[in-house]
Amino acid sequence: MKSEIVKTLLTRILSSLLTLFLLVSFLFIIIRLSPGDPTDKYISAKLGSELSERIAEKFSLNQPVTDQYLSFVANAFSGDMGVSYNYRLPVFEVIWEYFSFTLVFASISFILQMYLSIWLALWVIKKRKKWLDKFVTNSSLFIYSIPAFVLGVALIYIFSVNLNLFPISGMKSLDYDDLSFFSQVLNKIHHLVLPLITLTAAGVALFYKYIKESMDDVLNQTFIINLRSSGVNENIILRKHVIPNALRPLISVAGVELGILLGGALITEVIFSLPGMGRLTVDSIFSRDYPLVIGCVFTAGAVMILANFLADIIKLKIDKRLVKGILN
Amino acid sequence: MNIKTLNLFLLSFLFLLIISCDSKKSVSENRIVIGIAADVQSFNSLFAFSYEESAIAELLYPSLLDFRWNDKKGELEPYPMIAKSWQWAEDSLSIRFLIRDDILWSDGNKLTASDVVFSYDVFSDPDVQSRLYGIFNQLFTESDGHIDIEKTFNVISPYEFEMHFPESSVPDLVKIVVPVIPEHIFKDISRDQLANHESNFNPVSSGAFKFKKWNKNQTIILEADSNSFLFTYGQTAELVFKIVPDYTSRILQLKKGDIDLLELVKVEDVEELKAEKSLTVVSSIGREYDYVGWNNVDPNEPSKPHKLFENSNVRKALSMVINRKEILEEYLSGQGDLAASPVSPIFKSAFNEKVLPYEFIPDEARKLLFREGWKDEDRNGILEKGKTEFKFTMYYPVGNPLREYASVVIKNNLKSIGIEVTTEKMELGAFINNLYERKLDSWMAGFGVVIPLDLKPYWYSDPNIGFLNFSGYINPDIDNILDKLESRISLEEKNKLIKEFQEIIHKDEPVTFLYWTPNIIVYNTRIKNLKITPHGVLVHCWEWTIN
Repeated sequence: MKSEIVKTLLTRILSSLLTLFLLVSFLFIIIRLSPGDPTDKYISAKLGSELSERIAEKFSLNQPVTDQYLSFVANAFSGDMGVSYNYRLPVFEVIWEYFSFTLVFASISFILQMYLSIWLALWVIKKRKKWLDKFVTNSSLFIYSIPAFVLGVALIYIFSVNLNLFPISGMKSLDYDDLSFFSQVLNKIHHLVLPLITLTAAGVALFYKYIKESMDDVLNQTFIINLRSSGVNENIILRKHVIPNALRPLISVAGVELGILLGGALITEVIFSLPGMGRLTVDSIFSRDYPLVIGCVFTAGAVMILANFLADIIKLKIDKRLVKGILN
Repeated sequence: MNIKTLNLFLLSFLFLLIISCDSKKSVSENRIVIGIAADVQSFNSLFAFSYEESAIAELLYPSLLDFRWNDKKGELEPYPMIAKSWQWAEDSLSIRFLIRDDILWSDGNKLTASDVVFSYDVFSDPDVQSRLYGIFNQLFTESDGHIDIEKTFNVISPYEFEMHFPESSVPDLVKIVVPVIPEHIFKDISRDQLANHESNFNPVSSGAFKFKKWNKNQTIILEADSNSFLFTYGQTAELVFKIVPDYTSRILQLKKGDIDLLELVKVEDVEELKAEKSLTVVSSIGREYDYVGWNNVDPNEPSKPHKLFENSNVRKALSMVINRKEILEEYLSGQGDLAASPVSPIFKSAFNEKVLPYEFIPDEARKLLFREGWKDEDRNGILEKGKTEFKFTMYYPVGNPLREYASVVIKNNLKSIGIEVTTEKMELGAFINNLYERKLDSWMAGFGVVIPLDLKPYWYSDPNIGFLNFSGYINPDIDNILDKLESRISLEEKNKLIKEFQEIIHKDEPVTFLYWTPNIIVYNTRIKNLKITPHGVLVHCWEWTIN
């Protein structure tokens, strides 16, 4: 079994690397196909002549297109996507600065999505009321269909403008430095409540749908009926038998969702002026900072691949029977 | 901990959070918050490429002279700043500056003539690629554009120096004055490394405000520098630039009082904002205009005239059939003015009031086109001349709703007299490339107006000089006027020539001038002493006070 797991892991790592390689190749093709001189996608007058020359050499811009492609792939895998026009810094240095916020923000939102959706599904199942089930299912569908920019602006309008309960945007207030440590922590959380609701709501609705359907399936299986007839406590059945069995389909969706979140909560970060990957991507597009756009797209793709890889590992941990499935 | 307890804990925490945080306006009374859409990348005046960067850099690094807008004359006038006085030589080939001896950098060092000379050296250095690189052609320069310091400057004492000009030059103070940066900070940094140096993010300044804090992509905080020579009693204690990329969010914060001043407000929000008692709405017109470009030459063979737009009567007819007033009234709610030429009405002494925009007269346009041989002989609804049908594609860059709206109106207007237009959006980078290569038949774009007025890059026939003359317009009389404007002539003569320029341009109508678009500024009424001129909003913000 152990050797099978190692083999599975290696296969999964290789397929992830292949996907990453395809992503890099696709990026290179997109750069070549986009309007304008391809050289302008790497160097700009803003960078100065010496730096531009260095980049041109590093990306083989004066060489045939095959050499350019090989250099691009090699540079991408070694973490060099050129120099941002606006920041005049290596692209990945800029991305890392913004990615750290996204990592924290997305992780909190992801945990909330998982927790709230499972809790909601359990609550509905425990209540055993059809109208409640229908109501929550329809409400979750409604919430899922609200675009983030509508929900974000609506929350701002209600809770910030009218009720004056939360700040409209930003990560901290202007007087942040004058606050005590505890107040500083509260201040940051206070600023992040509305963005977190905006980012989390759709995910909760989506996860709820998956987990609820999956739980319903498990609840109808014979072993659960046997457990019930043996007089096992309903809470224990739910926690020890239903949830673990119902989680599997959720993990696959969660992998994709985590990848999307880590790639940058584009709309939420722009509406609430948060310094994350999504905002960096938007800013770099609007300022036509091509190296940074390429770097952001590459990062979003790479974290998506990584999140799916992690989801597969977690699934393996939960259910060893999947080892064969992945190998096949 | 069971789920119920955890839920109870989370709810209690949220409740505590709401009641513990001060939800009232946290803006200090002596602080002005300015909303901006994008963060800066540097505080160094050398690299202040964006609007926000240059506005902040100008506050940190004052120039030798202060330029104030004279609304009556419609021109900038020099006032003392770092230089307390200046004297032109009789032959106008040199100028002697006497600078103040009481100016301190924010780190306590004194500002001297050496800083000024160093600033010119760095700004013109090709290794630095500063935002002003290439503009020093009126000074003694080397072949790469670098100022020849020895020939240009003569430092008499730490507070007095002379600036010399070549005989052929026509120096204009507005064009040759640069912000002064501290020599002691930058002198030991390799020139090609200046752009990335950490000193750009912790600037040592001499302006009325000094750098306090930068929370990347959140806020930039400047505080009043009481040691600055520009500091005045009662000056605002802090100037905060709040970065809010979302427009709706900026407007909501303006209404709530979290932002005190906002530029580039959309016309559709004006009425609602005017209704707010705490806000003042001001519209500044004359720094930007939109136009429809007609390529005067064949995009495939630039030596040949364009088969549709070579004739000035045809271009005039096109202008007569575009209902610009409708666009102004419908989309811009009457904010903005019709344009007749590229000379803005803000330049009151040079503006020719006799040159009026072409009226919307489709019948007259039809007659003009008929006279030029454009008729619908085959009755298919499209005009033709010989075998050439009057149809073309008009391009415009994506992301401008006004131009999108205008393109529909223009298309319908032209269709009504038998001209078929296909409108097409283009990515901005590709659009600009095409304009520089003169590949487009027709396009809709806009131009910003520089102060002082500079027409040569836009209308000179030689593409190396008139590099922004995208329509390939050629008129020797215009070239002659533009050359004369660069010679040593009096201001009256200059204004006379500019008026003549407008008449010729109006007669030739190389492009259809649409309208002067407004910059709508909204600010909180608690800000006093704020003067909005075409020169800018923030230029003298240290004179603002809080009510």
